Amino acid sequence: MFATRILRQAAQHAERTPSIKFLGKRSIPSSVDHSRAPHPASPTHSLPESWKQSSPSSTSFSAYRDHAQQFGPLRKTIKSSDAGIGDHSGAELGSVKPPSGIAFDRNELPARFRRAPLSVLEIEAVESGGAALFA
Amino acid sequence: MLSSRLIGRTAVRSAFQKSTMPSMISARRTYATEAEQKDLVIIGGGVAGYVAAIKAGQEGLKVTCIEKRGTLGGTCLNVGCIPSKSLLNNSHLYHQILHDSKHRGIEVGDVKLNLDQLMKAKDTSVTGLTKGVEYLFKKNGVEYIKGTGSFQDDHTIKVALNDGGETSVSGKNIIIATGSEASPFPGLEIDEKRVVSSTGALSLAKVPESLAVIGGGIIGLEMASVWSRLGAKVTVIEFMDQIGGPGMDTEVAKSIQKILKKQGINFKTSTKVVNGDTSSEKVKLNLDAAKGGKEESLDADVVLVAIGRRPYTGGLGLENTSVEVDERGRVVIDSEYRTKVPHIRCVGDVTFGPMLAHKAEEEAVAVIEYIKKGYGHVNYGCIPSVMYTFPEVAWVGQSEQDLKKAGIKYRVGTFPFSANSRAKTNLDTDGMVKMIADPETDRLLGVHIVGPNAGEMIAEGTLALEYGASCEDIARTCHAHPTLAEAFKEAAMATYSKPIHM
Repeated sequence: MFATRILRQAAQHAERTPSIKFLGKRSIPSSVDHSRAPHPASPTHSLPESWKQSSPSSTSFSAYRDHAQQFGPLRKTIKSSDAGIGDHSGAELGSVKPPSGIAFDRNELPARFRRAPLSVLEIEAVESGGAALFA
Repeated sequence: MLSSRLIGRTAVRSAFQKSTMPSMISARRTYATEAEQKDLVIIGGGVAGYVAAIKAGQEGLKVTCIEKRGTLGGTCLNVGCIPSKSLLNNSHLYHQILHDSKHRGIEVGDVKLNLDQLMKAKDTSVTGLTKGVEYLFKKNGVEYIKGTGSFQDDHTIKVALNDGGETSVSGKNIIIATGSEASPFPGLEIDEKRVVSSTGALSLAKVPESLAVIGGGIIGLEMASVWSRLGAKVTVIEFMDQIGGPGMDTEVAKSIQKILKKQGINFKTSTKVVNGDTSSEKVKLNLDAAKGGKEESLDADVVLVAIGRRPYTGGLGLENTSVEVDERGRVVIDSEYRTKVPHIRCVGDVTFGPMLAHKAEEEAVAVIEYIKKGYGHVNYGCIPSVMYTFPEVAWVGQSEQDLKKAGIKYRVGTFPFSANSRAKTNLDTDGMVKMIADPETDRLLGVHIVGPNAGEMIAEGTLALEYGASCEDIARTCHAHPTLAEAFKEAAMATYSKPIHM
């Protein structure tokens, strides 16, 4: 019994480990560097000099955008940008009340809070005092 | 009553306002979108362009694809991969019936070639596929403009419509996917009758008595095979000392050259074509040894110029943008396919990398993912190449000469189809599978196949390479019997250990 266990253990260690492994479901990296890099198949393996000169402050607009600030980071990761507003809790987004001195116009409300549109039949009915319904 | 009347009028006014407001808004919206700015405009409806358009449609982008040929699919579907495969397949059947049936126990009567019908079969397959792409455009909401597009500025494309007239489209993103064209041979004008490019070679009016092929790359050898099988005396002239073009393993190149020679194709390697003369009945080519030496001449009814392809950007108006091209005319891009103007991207033959339809297809999907999700993927170290001669030649990854040049240690294992049961039953035993692996880790570095069905079999090698498999992984994977794929498994065994059937 004991010998068998030792043999089993030995066999387990001798077992080959495959190189192909299941890595799990693919996912987009949480942060991607969009700064310009040479194309992998580029024969020179470098970007033209003129590209570097044209954007002294950052290598690309995407690179700039990744670090830009506007009421907080404009775009930190691809994930948050993809998820949109649904990625944030309501509390995180702040109060829905308008600042003092500013009033929301009714037309700015979502359609479901506005007056229901009248149909032509309804208009005619109102205009004719209801007679159009029996015409 | 009066009050209700007043309420009624108020309601009507309100209704009037409501009924006019949307039209005013829509009028304003029409005005705002008069330039029809799309999410994406693609110039070129070839493999790169149409795949990008379909993928963009699937991702919910408003996309327009501009193609001037009048049919979608580009070189590949119209005058490249697809028609050549039709001719290769049918000419192989003809050749096999004619020369390779009696010993298989099939006696046939008078076998005749109907070249017109052969060409019709080719056209039917092309039309079916190009129409299929048009259907996919409709299915995925892609706007298709038949015309020639050229940049007016960084955002606007002017389109000269095929049916006359002009229009313009603008896009937040633009993809250049204009493909490539056959490189001309200096001093030998292509008339597509006696001096032909690959396009002309696909539709010769009759089988030429003699055909000279300048360039022993994949296109040259495929067309050489077609016309040789149909009865032409074919000579292939290659500047390099091996056929098959860049990337083909030297051992494999030698092997296929021997096989093709046995099929009746003549080869002149290490030979350069100095010039050509089309003034007499036959086209005369003056040849010279590549490194200087004996001069000779060659007469042929038809000359195929197959010395490679070059990026096609003619009439694209790149001068109206800041997009740059390199010294070979390729559009310069970065790792995310962006040109110097970040919202103008470029994929396919017109930019870096091998000019292969499946490479263009991979890039097309990746570029849309970059636009939509900010993340795409193409592994340029794992792009297979296939030559559809008989037997086929296919490879992926590194060749032996690449590794030698880079000073990388490697181990090789080969298995011949002459030892494979299925190849034996098919009486198609020419060729072998060759695997190259890292001697320490056993990781697969390259696969090279010359043999029947090599083009299909290379998919297994590509998958193994993409996953970083070892030869032992391949060898320990069960392969059905009797199949040609067993030769693949046995080659893997030969690389890390020993094959069973040899």
